[in-house]
Amino acid sequence: MHNNLRDSLDEKERAFIDQVIAERSSRPGALLGILQAVQNHNPRNYLPMETLHYVAAKTRVPPSQVYSVATFYALFNLQPQGEHTVSICRGTACHTRGSRELLESLVLELGLGQRDDGDSGGADKATLTTADGVFTVRTVACFGQCALAPVVEINHSICGHVNEHTLQRQLKELARESD
Amino acid sequence: MPQKKISIRIDGELVTALEGQTILQAAQEAGKAIPTLCYLEGLSPAGACRICMVEVAGTERLLPACTTPVQEGLAVTTVSARLTQYRRMTVELLLIERNHVCSVCVSNGHCELQAMATSLGITNTRYWYDFPTLPVDMTHERFVLDHNRCILCTRCVRACAELEGANVWDVGGRGIHTRVTSDLAQPWGESPTCTSCGKCVQACPTGALAEKGAAVEEMTKRTDRLTRLAGSKRAQP
Ligand code: SF4
Ligand code: FES
Ligand code: FES
Repeated sequence: MHNNLRDSLDEKERAFIDQVIAERSSRPGALLGILQAVQNHNPRNYLPMETLHYVAAKTRVPPSQVYSVATFYALFNLQPQGEHTVSICRGTACHTRGSRELLESLVLELGLGQRDDGDSGGADKATLTTADGVFTVRTVACFGQCALAPVVEINHSICGHVNEHTLQRQLKELARESD
Repeated sequence: MPQKKISIRIDGELVTALEGQTILQAAQEAGKAIPTLCYLEGLSPAGACRICMVEVAGTERLLPACTTPVQEGLAVTTVSARLTQYRRMTVELLLIERNHVCSVCVSNGHCELQAMATSLGITNTRYWYDFPTLPVDMTHERFVLDHNRCILCTRCVRACAELEGANVWDVGGRGIHTRVTSDLAQPWGESPTCTSCGKCVQACPTGALAEKGAAVEEMTKRTDRLTRLAGSKRAQP
């Protein structure tokens, strides 16, 4: 099945990847930047297997290494991401200020079962996306904003002293925008 | 250009080492055995298992003998109560991380992890077993990969990359979720890069990589062949 992977990327996508690779030449370490640019270009902010396959073939980096890099860095997603990303801090300060309860209530609210497929990263390093693709919930180790604990990042903006109510209000607003 | 000779002390004994050598290489040449798991002569050192830790005078930290280069005047201790304590702990942690049930393993009696545990006098672990349920990849026509036995030493990764040049293996994921993966994590049997040479199987210190058809205790590894192959590769112009 993997032999057909290349064919499943469309012409435009391939041209984009070719250009990204050409710009970054073949200097060592270029792979990180290439994967990041390609992921950012993806409308659902992730790296499909076809893409990894194509990048490996084009850069001549062994697929095993491309996969290793893509799964080592939390920055890269191998699953499609939701329209809005909510990152809950699970660092020490936020933990003592109740970030676990915040995470649990959010997971419940959005109907995200904590599935443990063994490779998702476990409970404390979770990335979960709602079935409708609107929200992705992830956990972060520390934002460096511990004075504001518990901290939640919603679409790249930091919210401090978050509680269940303020979080739910914000999510409702976002959900309304997406309708 | 001949390598520069330098003097170091290993367990109090003055030995001559060559510049560029690691502590492990110098010790082995001086006839001193330092325990190792992820090191395989002929492959590049990885420093992955932390069994070879030694004490070096002048630093509080333990250093891995397999990756630390020798320096003039270095004084190394390879045997001490502290080192034994750490080595034991390291092996215990390896044992609890996966399901190393020796009595039903193809490598029982020929396993480097088992031998290491025995030589360190480990009869039980002080930590809870993790009991993960990990898959066994049986898709290759001749070989099996049992993640439950893997200690993530990366000897298979290096044997494949450095001796066969196929780069089938690498490690995917991180932390407790790290696994050896072939290509883009597709089943081994579907790997477009695997040449079925079996070098990874021979490199593997445990029963994680084995030949199909081997029953309990039947899988013996020939790491010496890999070392010889690496030697003859290096000798080529
Ligand atoms: S499969 Fe064997 S050689 Fe490869 S990392 Fe695991 S224990 Fe080491
Ligand atoms: S622990 Fe949450 S921001 Fe530092
Ligand atoms: S042998 Fe040195 S770290 Fe494994």
